[in-house]
Amino acid sequence: MLNMKNIRKVFRTDLVETCALDDFSLTVDQGEFVTITGPSGCGKTTFLNIAGLLETHTSGLYLLDDVDVSQLGDYARAKLRNQKIGFIFQSFNLMPDLNLFDNIDVPLRYRGMKSAERKERIDKALDSVGLFARRKHVPAQLSGGQQQRVAIARALVGDPLFLLADEPTGNLDSNTAKGVMALLEEINDSGTTIIMVTHDQSLAQQSKRNIHILDGRISNASNETANKEATAA
Amino acid sequence: MEIGPILRALTRNKLGVILISLQIAFTMTVMVNAVFIINERSKLMARPSGLDEPNMFYLRSTGFGDQFNSEITEQDDLELLRNVPGIVDATAINSIPISGGGSSDGLRLEDDPTLPSIPAAVYFTDERALNTMRLNLIAGENFSGSDVLHQRSSEGRNYPMAVVSLALAEALFPEEGQTAVGKIFYNDSNPVQIIGIVERLQAPWTNSFFVEQAMLVPLNFISSTSTYLIRTEPGQRDRLMVETEELLAGNNSNRIIRDLKSMDETREESYRLDSSMATILFVVILTLVFITSMGIVGLAVFGINRRRKQIGTRRALGATHAEILRYFMLENFFISGVGVTIGAVLTIAFSIALSSLFEMPTMGWYYTPAGMLILIGIGQLAVLGPSTKASRIEPAIATRSI
Repeated sequence: MLNMKNIRKVFRTDLVETCALDDFSLTVDQGEFVTITGPSGCGKTTFLNIAGLLETHTSGLYLLDDVDVSQLGDYARAKLRNQKIGFIFQSFNLMPDLNLFDNIDVPLRYRGMKSAERKERIDKALDSVGLFARRKHVPAQLSGGQQQRVAIARALVGDPLFLLADEPTGNLDSNTAKGVMALLEEINDSGTTIIMVTHDQSLAQQSKRNIHILDGRISNASNETANKEATAA
Repeated sequence: MEIGPILRALTRNKLGVILISLQIAFTMTVMVNAVFIINERSKLMARPSGLDEPNMFYLRSTGFGDQFNSEITEQDDLELLRNVPGIVDATAINSIPISGGGSSDGLRLEDDPTLPSIPAAVYFTDERALNTMRLNLIAGENFSGSDVLHQRSSEGRNYPMAVVSLALAEALFPEEGQTAVGKIFYNDSNPVQIIGIVERLQAPWTNSFFVEQAMLVPLNFISSTSTYLIRTEPGQRDRLMVETEELLAGNNSNRIIRDLKSMDETREESYRLDSSMATILFVVILTLVFITSMGIVGLAVFGINRRRKQIGTRRALGATHAEILRYFMLENFFISGVGVTIGAVLTIAFSIALSSLFEMPTMGWYYTPAGMLILIGIGQLAVLGPSTKASRIEPAIATRSI
C-alpha cells in the first residue's frame, strides 16, 4: 500500500543544506496502525509531508498503492491526495467560516462527486463521530475534541486508502485525547490503515507498530511488534 | 463549483464584503454616469457646423482715423483676398459660426408680435458666403450680389430674403421642411422670403437650444470693423493665415488686423469647457477605478494572507492550483456582483436625478449592464494576481504550526 525505499529529502538554502530524511525505507500494509515517533526536528513531519504527497522527496522510490509518485505532476498528486489519503491535523485545520457540513464537504467537492452522494456520505460521517445534530454549527461553536472529530469525519468521508494523522491529540486535554484515540482505534479496527505522527510515547506504545525516527533515519528503537519491514540502511 | 460554501462563508464576513461592495457600487454609479456625460459631450463636440472648417479661417479689420472709409476698404479687401492664389473664396460677415458671439432674431409666421417667436441666428453677409462656407444648398437658390443691401446698423435690420438651415425651415414650417422655399416668415413686421435651404448651418452659440437654426441674409452693415471669413484650398490654410494678415495690414495703414483665427481653433475654444469637463470626468473615472481595484486587491490579499493555512489545507485535501484560483475568482465575482447590483440601482437613480435636475437626455439602457460587466471584469482582473499567488501556496503549509 505504502512503500518507501531509500527516501532522501534535502532542504537547501543559499547557505545551508539540511538532510531531513536519509535512506528512509518503510512499508505499510493495509489495515495497519503505525505510529511515528521521534524528537523534534528528527524528520517526522517531513516523512508525513512526503507520505501525504504534500512535499516531494529528493531521491528514492515512493510507491503509493503501486503508483510511483515521484513521476507525478502537481495536478496528479492533488488528485491522488484527494482520493487515497485522509488527513488529520494537530490544529484540526477546519475552515472557520464554513459549518461542519461544508467542512466535511470540501474534499468531496474536489472529487467532483454528485450532491446527493456527498450529502449521504457527509451525514454518515458526521453520524459516525456523533456530531450529526450539529452539522450547521461552525467550528468555533465546538470544543477542541469535537473539532478533531469533525476533522476525522472529513478525513474518512472520502473512503481513503489510509489516514495520516499529525499529532491528532496534541492540542487536546488527556481525557479528550483518549476519546480521539479510541475513535481512531475503532476506525483502524474497521480496516482503515492509520499512520500517526506523535510525540506521546504512551500513545506509541499502544499502537501495533511504532517507527522511531532519529536524525532522519529509522532508529533501532522502533517497535516492530507487527513484524513489518522497516529498515534503515 | 463551491458557490454555496463561498456565499455562506461571505455572509460570515459581512463587513469587508459590504465595504468593498459599496465602493464598487459607488464607483459604478460615478463611472457609468460620467461615461454617459462624456459621451453626450463628445456628441455635442462632434456635431458638424456645416462649414468646411479644416480649410477656413477669419480675421477682423478695424479702421481708425477720419481717412478710413470702411465700405471702400471692405470692397478692396475682399477683391484682394479673392485673388490670392490658394484662397477659394472670401466673404464679409457679421459673426462666425460656433464662435460664441453673434446676432439672432425672433421669427414668426404672421405679423403678430403677440405670437411666440422662433429664434434663429442671423448671419449678415453677401452672396459669396454660401461658397466661402462651402454650405450644401439642398433646395432653392443663393441670393445674388444685387440682392445685398448695404446699410448702417442704425438703419435697422430689414432683409427681404434668406437662405435658411434645414433645421430652421423645419422649425418654421414643420410640414414643409425642405419644400419651404418661397415661404414667408416675419422678422418683426418685415416679411422675409426663404429663397434657399442649406443642409446644415450652426449658430454661433454651441450650447444654445437653437444651435442648428441659422440663416444667411443679404445685408452688409457698414461699420469700421469688418470680419472676413476665408476658405483656402486644402493644406494652404496655415500658410495663408500668415500671408493674409500681412497682405491686409500692408494694404491699408489706417486699420489694425486682429483676431486672426482658424475655425479649428474656434471650435476648440468653443468646446473647451466641454472638453475640459470630459477630461476631468475621465480622470475621475480612472482614479475611482484604480482605487476600487486597489481595494479589491487589498481585500483579496488580506483574505488570502489570513487564510494561508486554509488554502494549504484545501490543497492537502485535494484542491488543484486551478481549483484554488477559481475559488478566489468566484469569491470576488460574488463580491463584485453584490457591488454592481447595488451600483445598478444607484446608477439608474442618479441618472434619473441628473436628467430631471439638469434637463439632460435620458441615459441609454445599455450603459448600466455595460458598466456592470466592465466592473466585474475589472474586479476579476484585479483579483487575478492575488488568486494566482494563492493557488501557488504549497499544501505542506497545512502541517506547519504557524
